[in-house]
Amino acid sequence: MSENRRQILDMLARGKITAEEAERLLSAVEREPAAAAPMRNDKVKYLRVVVDAHDEHEGPTKVNVRVPIQLLRAGVKLASIIPPRARSEVNAALAKEGIDVDIGKLTPESLEEIVEHLRDLTVDVDAADAKVRVFCE
Amino acid sequence: MRLMPPLFMIVQILPTASHRGLRLWVPVFLIWILLLPFLLVLLPVFFIVCAVIDIHPLKTLGVFFGVLGSLGGTHVEVDSPDAAVFIHVY
Repeated sequence: MSENRRQILDMLARGKITAEEAERLLSAVEREPAAAAPMRNDKVKYLRVVVDAHDEHEGPTKVNVRVPIQLLRAGVKLASIIPPRARSEVNAALAKEGIDVDIGKLTPESLEEIVEHLRDLTVDVDAADAKVRVFCE
Repeated sequence: MRLMPPLFMIVQILPTASHRGLRLWVPVFLIWILLLPFLLVLLPVFFIVCAVIDIHPLKTLGVFFGVLGSLGGTHVEVDSPDAAVFIHVY
C-alpha cells in the first residue's frame, strides 16, 4: 500500500474525512501516477537558447538556437579521448577559473543524470535591454 | 548514437534593407564524398599522430563521427536589422 493511500485511510478512520471524500482522494491518487508517467517518458531532445535583445542604436535582435542533446552527449565523450597529460592541464585551467571539475570523471552515465535534470531546468534572464531564455524541450 | 553525418543543410540569409537575401540548400553529403579520398590518404598519418600523443585511434574516430552524427537537428536563427540568418542542419 502506498503512503498516500495509507494517509487517506487513516484520515477516514479518524473521522477527519467522510467516505465520499476518501473515495475521491483515492481515485485522485490512482490517477496521479498515470498522468505523471508520460512526462517522465518524454526524452529531452533539444537545448534551446532564445535571446530577444533591443539595442538603442542597432535596434532589435532576436537569436534562436536549438542544440540537440545528442550533441552534448557526444561532446562529453570527447573528454574521454583527451590524453592524460592534456586532461590534467585542462583540469588545472578549470580550477584556476574556479570550476572544480575533473573532466576525466565525466562519464555518459553522469551526463544522463544531468540531462534528466535538464528537463526541469529553465533559465530566464529578464534585463532592461534583453531577455534570455534557456530551456530544454 | 547516430553515426551518419548530416546530409543536408539549409542556409538562408533573409533580405534586409542592405542585402537582397539568399537561400542555399547545401548537400553536405557531397562534401563528405569529396573529402573521403583525402581522409583515406591521411588515415595512416592519423594513426601515427594518435600513437605519438597516446590516444586510442579507433575510439577517437568513433567519438569524432559521434559528434558529426549528432549535428542533425541543429538550428540557428539570428534576426537583427543588419543581418537575418537561418541555418538548419538535417
